[in-house]
Amino acid sequence: MTKIQLNGREVEADPKKPLIAACHEHGANVPHYCYHPGLKAVGSCRICQVEVKQGEMPPRIVAACRTPVAEGMQVNTEAAKAHDARRECLEFLLKNHPLDCPICDKAGECDLQDYSYQEGQGEGRSVEPRRKLDKRKSLGDVILLDEERCILCSRCVRFMEEVPKTPQLTVAGLGSRSTIATFMDRPLSGNYQGNLADVCPVGALTLKKFRFQARVWNLRKSLSTCGECSRGCSITAEVLRGKEVKRFRPRYNDKVNKWWMCDSGRFALERHAEQAPGLGPRIAGALSRGQGAQVHEPIAAPSGVALAADMLAAHERRVVLASPWLSQEEGAALARIAQALGTTAGFVSPAPDGLADRLLHTGDPCPNRRGLTDLGFVALSVEECAARLAGCEVALVVGERAGELLREPLAALDASRRVALFEARALDAPAVKVQIGVPTHVEKSGTWINVDGHVGRLTIARAAPAGTPALTSSLRQLEEMLAAAAAGVVGDTGARR
Amino acid sequence: MVIVKRRELTLAERLYLPEIGRALALSLRAMFRKRVTRQYPEEPLPTNEVTRGQPRLVVKDDGNIACVSCGMCEVACPAYAITIDGGETDRAIEREPKRFDIDMLRCILCGFCEEACPKDAIYMSDELELADFSRQALVYDIEKLKRPRSALQKRIDYVNKLNDRWRKPSSTR
Repeated sequence: MTKIQLNGREVEADPKKPLIAACHEHGANVPHYCYHPGLKAVGSCRICQVEVKQGEMPPRIVAACRTPVAEGMQVNTEAAKAHDARRECLEFLLKNHPLDCPICDKAGECDLQDYSYQEGQGEGRSVEPRRKLDKRKSLGDVILLDEERCILCSRCVRFMEEVPKTPQLTVAGLGSRSTIATFMDRPLSGNYQGNLADVCPVGALTLKKFRFQARVWNLRKSLSTCGECSRGCSITAEVLRGKEVKRFRPRYNDKVNKWWMCDSGRFALERHAEQAPGLGPRIAGALSRGQGAQVHEPIAAPSGVALAADMLAAHERRVVLASPWLSQEEGAALARIAQALGTTAGFVSPAPDGLADRLLHTGDPCPNRRGLTDLGFVALSVEECAARLAGCEVALVVGERAGELLREPLAALDASRRVALFEARALDAPAVKVQIGVPTHVEKSGTWINVDGHVGRLTIARAAPAGTPALTSSLRQLEEMLAAAAAGVVGDTGARR
Repeated sequence: MVIVKRRELTLAERLYLPEIGRALALSLRAMFRKRVTRQYPEEPLPTNEVTRGQPRLVVKDDGNIACVSCGMCEVACPAYAITIDGGETDRAIEREPKRFDIDMLRCILCGFCEEACPKDAIYMSDELELADFSRQALVYDIEKLKRPRSALQKRIDYVNKLNDRWRKPSSTR
């Protein structure tokens, strides 16, 4: 560790990192556009200029992102000269930047806006017209480029080179006609394009899918964990008006995903919509299907759990299957139930989705595989699950997407079997006698354990449909009822119809 | 304590009939004087550019609304009366509201939306009346809020005049 003086305070700085990292670590908010802690520093925007005095030399203005930390360095981020340098730099950046903040999707989380308030002079002095460039340039299926808004920080170029290691972007042209371009105008490819919109400090690179969908200050951000593979990237789930999940963004986690996430996780939004293609409607409360009845009728969730308990207590040859989206807390409760029923629980482990890469995506679609394995669950392929279901009299299938993964085996069972399904979305199968609604992973709090053993937290980003209790409380109720049935207590549990 | 003695009536007053005649004469005279009562629903209140009525969306001369759904009025609204969903358009402006609802029952006619709008797209009209048979009918959508610029011109000029007081003479827009 190197000792430096930062704004008159003696602080310890990491000599492997540039000066700006030390400034940020110790609370000096030095503006930055081209610098990103996850990328190489190039010093192209010059907005991070600070005053540095070293030894007998008079103080100088330097770019903090390209200056290594040196012993005894005296850094003043608030010097009048440093402020002047940053303000002048910002004036040039704003010279050609269009004033379309009302239209721009970045407004509200834009570094250019923030630092204009912090450092800028409020009014431009330029009398020249702004440059006119392409405002809607498509860079593939994910990203749209607004050339006028670009400040040429080259973060996107470096991201593509350094993180997925697929250099596809470059700065083309000279002077004020420089633009970000792909080689030969080919569309971008790869599973990490969405990060470009995150690294862009201005509104130049935007997501086509999020374009004009919501103003960012209307989004309620909750910390969550991505559920699309066993990597379990830390993310924030952003919800508009308590209903629609509008986007997932990566959240810095040094041990798992750094600053990044893949597109398959980022755009896994469809299933969180009210109506998802190919999926049944959400279950609010529970649905029961009486003997010989053709349709499910809605009942309250506790009544549904009571029906499930009756079914499980009254029949032998039981099977307990879980979804790999189950949290540790829910998994522990289900493992106890399975033990009480005299069976070992398994979880559905679908085949790898073929999206595995060297960076983040593991290709294994089970976000809590490791945690459930630790709890004693057995990983079962869909075929193995089907075999278990075929040999059972009564089955307990628990968890978000469990019914979706086992749709065909469940539909193939004849009506004499009894399946109690705890699922987020309704499934129409003759064997499924009762379905109890559960919250999805953006609607519950809990824990997942990722492929490397790191804990991923889930928090409630939005409320589950009305009348849907947390799965942990449904399972606790089920456990109590089964215990009462096993002890031979005959009587009303108070929750039955 | 003050004891107020009632005034003794005069002879003419005590005779009663002359007083009736006097009162009738007063009524008769009033019939020919200028009336001060306004026949309100038939005869509307006078309005001027300072009147802050319900907010309305400006329709530009090319037939499109000026709003780009930036959400500034939504944020500024202290009564949470405004709900906006943005969307893409092929026009050069790129962005336009797909849904722009003002709940007129929530609106408190404060004019913050007008002040917040960076695109001069929402102005307080001189429309004040608000009556319907259901609450839902009083949540106005884009079609109900649209007004041609000419209908709001007086207010637009007035607001520009107000804003000019705060503008530096050197600044150009």
